[in-house]
Amino acid sequence: MLKLIHTEFLKLRRRKFIFIMMLAALVMPFFALLYFRYFGHEGIEPMQFYRISAFGYTLWIVLPFILGILSTVIMYDENRNDMLKQLWIVPVSKMGYFFSKFFIVLIYSVCFMLITAVFSVAFSVLSGYVSFDFNSVLLLFGRSLQTGVLVAFAVLPVVAAAAMSKGYILPVFAALIYNFLGFFTASLNMYLHPLSSTAVIIMPDTSAASQTEPANIPLALLCIGVWGTASVLTAYTALKKRK
Amino acid sequence: MKILLLTECMKLRRSKIVWISVAAAFLISAIVFLGGTAENDSIRLIDSAGWYMSVVQPMSTMFVIPAVIALLGSYMICREEQEDTIKSLRLIPINETKMTAAKMIITFAFCILIYLLLFVITLTAEAILHVQDLSVSIAAGYLTAYIIDAAGVFLAVSPVIALVSYMKKSYWISLVIAEIYSFAGLFMSMSNTLKTLYPITAIFGVSGYYETSAVSKTESIAVLLVCGCLSFVILKGLKFHEDR
Repeated sequence: MLKLIHTEFLKLRRRKFIFIMMLAALVMPFFALLYFRYFGHEGIEPMQFYRISAFGYTLWIVLPFILGILSTVIMYDENRNDMLKQLWIVPVSKMGYFFSKFFIVLIYSVCFMLITAVFSVAFSVLSGYVSFDFNSVLLLFGRSLQTGVLVAFAVLPVVAAAAMSKGYILPVFAALIYNFLGFFTASLNMYLHPLSSTAVIIMPDTSAASQTEPANIPLALLCIGVWGTASVLTAYTALKKRK
Repeated sequence: MKILLLTECMKLRRSKIVWISVAAAFLISAIVFLGGTAENDSIRLIDSAGWYMSVVQPMSTMFVIPAVIALLGSYMICREEQEDTIKSLRLIPINETKMTAAKMIITFAFCILIYLLLFVITLTAEAILHVQDLSVSIAAGYLTAYIIDAAGVFLAVSPVIALVSYMKKSYWISLVIAEIYSFAGLFMSMSNTLKTLYPITAIFGVSGYYETSAVSKTESIAVLLVCGCLSFVILKGLKFHEDR
């Protein structure tokens, strides 16, 4: 498995686009800066700034979308260049192939969140809106790591769609609709969608669920687990059928 | 030109993108509907007449449709070079500028069709839920708003399609840029100036979703037209066969 992951990293060197996509990590810290510049920047608590710059739309829209594109790009090229046959000949197990791709997504997700955290601190402190507070920065990095890991698991259905499909249109649309679904079903029930469940775990004090009842973290983890397991099983069945 | 348009339509028929976009339109409508059924202080948003038709416009425009249109437009233009079909087309010989124009016209038509589909879905739902509150003038007002949204989205996204095609980059880039560009609209609506001048939010000023003054509306129209002109200028100089 480690060899497979190592090979996947070597393959990444050829794809500059994947590294360019990391620039999206700057988007939310920049918008948080704009937001506080417009609505006033007096007496902002560090976590108030980080909530917008690192855990708001980054968790709901930006990171899941980027991970959806990443999983499509790393799987589509191999399908297009007919490399899968050669991989099966090596032999590489179908699940080994799927999980090696997933690990790339997971590591990318963590790196993305760490970059977001670094820029959140830089933008907030350098602009003078937030005073540097070591404990808040530590909390930001801790939660960013958690977000990186949990969102990677939350997008497993999109990774599975990319593995199942030979083209790229379906997984890309799946990523768009999947994020949209998470965003809208949150008002119905926070434990229906893995992205809203991630929000419950990362921000238990501010999630919509806590407004009516205390955040139920085991239920949120169960939601992510059920969607993830179903996705892995579906991807396994689809890959097994593939010649 | 007629032949070029017909050819582009026939090429699209082979691609899944059209059907998946149609499915996406249905799913967007269904998801917003689902979101509207959530109870907040015993009030369901979906029960207010007009809420559904109003909300589908910004939600689809800020989260999904621009990315879909950017992907379709840049896919249609970039695929000729990426799949190496441009050599065969040049042997015909074909006027590349006219072919690019045909591709952009098809993208525009597709954008209008997607918004019309959204309009039909939302109107049907509203007719089922609140038939007593609907009138021909209300429906006509929303139809105009949806068509303006479609034209606005096309104009706002066209520079992204044009730039990606001009730089001969992969259509992935247009997808990422378009998604972040449209989603940024959420933050641009904070300030009145940004709301008027940012292309994505300018669409809502023109379509009437945001209440704006006549001056702001004119400025928004001007911004969208500038976007259209910019993409026209970029695409006019597009040569498929130029070396990278």
